Amino acid sequence: MATVYDVVVVGSGASGGTLAAHLARAGAHVAIVEGGPKINTRTDFPTHSMPWEFANRQIPKMKPGKPGMESERARGLGGKTLTWNAVAWRFGQRDFKGKTFDGGGEDWPIDYADLAPYYERIEREIGVCGNYDGLKDLPDGVFLPPAPYKCSDKLIDKGARKLGLKTIHVRKATLTQAKFGRPGCHYCGNCMAGCDVVAKYNSYDVHLLPAMKTGKLEMIPNAVVREVMMGGDGRARGVKFIHRETKAEGEVLGKAVAVCCACVQSVALLQMSAKGGLANSSGQLGKHFIPHFTGGVEAFLDGLVGTPLKDDEGFLDHAYLPSFMHERKRDYVRSFGAQFGYQNRRGIGWARETPGMGAGYKKAVKDQYPAFVVFSPYGEMVPNAKSYIDLDHGKLDQYGLPSARRQVTWMANDWKIFKDMQNWSKEIMLAAGAKIQKVWDEPRTNHELGGARMGKDARTSVVNPYCQTHDVKNLFVLDGSVFPSASEKNPTHTMMALAARTAEHMAARAKKGEL
Amino acid sequence: MAERRDALKIIGSISATCAFPFAADELYAQHEGTHGAVSGQAALPEPAYFSKADFATIAAMAERIIPATDTPGAGAAGVPAYIDFVVGRNPAQQKVFSAGLAWMKKQTKGRAFAELGEKEQLAILEPLCARCDAGPVKGTGERFFRAVKALTSDGYWTSKAGMGETLGFKGNAILGAYPECLHEH
Repeated sequence: MATVYDVVVVGSGASGGTLAAHLARAGAHVAIVEGGPKINTRTDFPTHSMPWEFANRQIPKMKPGKPGMESERARGLGGKTLTWNAVAWRFGQRDFKGKTFDGGGEDWPIDYADLAPYYERIEREIGVCGNYDGLKDLPDGVFLPPAPYKCSDKLIDKGARKLGLKTIHVRKATLTQAKFGRPGCHYCGNCMAGCDVVAKYNSYDVHLLPAMKTGKLEMIPNAVVREVMMGGDGRARGVKFIHRETKAEGEVLGKAVAVCCACVQSVALLQMSAKGGLANSSGQLGKHFIPHFTGGVEAFLDGLVGTPLKDDEGFLDHAYLPSFMHERKRDYVRSFGAQFGYQNRRGIGWARETPGMGAGYKKAVKDQYPAFVVFSPYGEMVPNAKSYIDLDHGKLDQYGLPSARRQVTWMANDWKIFKDMQNWSKEIMLAAGAKIQKVWDEPRTNHELGGARMGKDARTSVVNPYCQTHDVKNLFVLDGSVFPSASEKNPTHTMMALAARTAEHMAARAKKGEL
Repeated sequence: MAERRDALKIIGSISATCAFPFAADELYAQHEGTHGAVSGQAALPEPAYFSKADFATIAAMAERIIPATDTPGAGAAGVPAYIDFVVGRNPAQQKVFSAGLAWMKKQTKGRAFAELGEKEQLAILEPLCARCDAGPVKGTGERFFRAVKALTSDGYWTSKAGMGETLGFKGNAILGAYPECLHEH
């Protein structure tokens, strides 16, 4: 007899990793099925590489010869948390009730108070650093000390203050001091190439490996899931997968299935699993795709031009400009916040644009090098009918599966936010005493959200407030796809808090025999 | 639509036109050794894509764009080999370069650009540079110069000589504490 797990979790990133670990700790027998290989974060990433080590001068995602991060369906145990920037905000009540607040988009069916205990639980188990700022729309949590400001942060804060704005310390799931048997950050400056000491959270090292000690968790890497299998009783009974290397087919059986494949891939998996989409009686699956959009400017801060270079790229960005427009008069709904200075100094593409040639050009680039900053605002998109996720059957991937297709159409409200955030970006950088080098004048998507939205009404949403599909009682979806509205804040902490809340709910229901 | 990590990578990074999936150690090995020399007159390696004559032209242009000063210039930093590597894999760049090299031969009336004196070389390049700095360009010579400058810039500033010696890159070190900004900005 094949093993029948209590829960089969598909995907091992922030949501899947958190869910699987919490369930295993609660006593459930869990299989985590991941499309990518096992990655050793201490040895497999080019964390300490420099561009000149490679003929094309691009630092690759993995060290030569090490597998992983090959496609959306095969990243590796740990998923995108292996290479994320670790920004960890709590959403505020405004983010959950945007429609009530300004009339646009949708409200979440839960409140900040529903999620607050789970945000805290995550902070206490993975470590989040930050300052206690007392902001209504960006609730404080349980923090390790924040990373100090860089010179460029101080200059940008000074500029922002001239305009009546204030920056704060960024909050990240990166340890600023040793804790939980993990070392504090050593500020080597290449976080998003993979942190080789696990000062930065990744779900494999921080959630999954310790949960293995329960004896309740099994990790199944190299298994690209192609279908959620349904039984004749209308319940999910497991998943079918294709082996990443051998392409052999296999199955993992479970009493419940949780799909945690990072938004677009979760939606695609449900769409591949049944004609018309699994758990789609509402017709809402794939709809309301609401990724963040970003624009911003690249600039040189006058105050740093020609100054001695400091080794201050460690931890990447250290400061943040919280949303402020939602409290001001504006001709759009929702708002934006801004990250800045998360580039490191290992890429210098801007030097192409520095005028001149010869010794003068060489000196100009050297003078600009310490002063270069990217200012990156993130805007919230309101759901629209022309932005959705579907399958492209004409474009098969290396596993013979249809590619997930993202359709994004920017509407009038999106353009208004975009134009306003671009204006503010320029104004703030000019007030900080900067020369603007480049303006990103087309919105680009980032932080994928929506497509399987959460709601109380089974006719208008895919999952209920516990991320359980309305149609299939033992099928769960956990990741950004369930967000009914996006907020302008980086989403991962909220995904992890949702996973912790759902894990507790599933464990309680299982004890009563209701799952 | 760019994935999040790709979008981040492009910001402040070298252009996506020279991004190739890269896996082989031998490419690294082949490229190694083009960085060590600090003299501006390092011998050119064998080109894989360009003819020797064209390669010499490009190397001479690159050295005028980023000359040796108190730190190495483009030649010693291995920029010619980088340009050969990139253009050899990019058909769009190949068109610009072959048109540009033909244009250059007309300007020099058949003489090799690399054999011209400094004044003669600059008399050709500096007006091109000025026009490129002034705005969008359409002429064959200008487009050629812009492409050579872009790849020279990418190749030089990502080399050990450019990023390490000239710019004094200091990251990639293990720090006990973050060097907080204590200046009065």
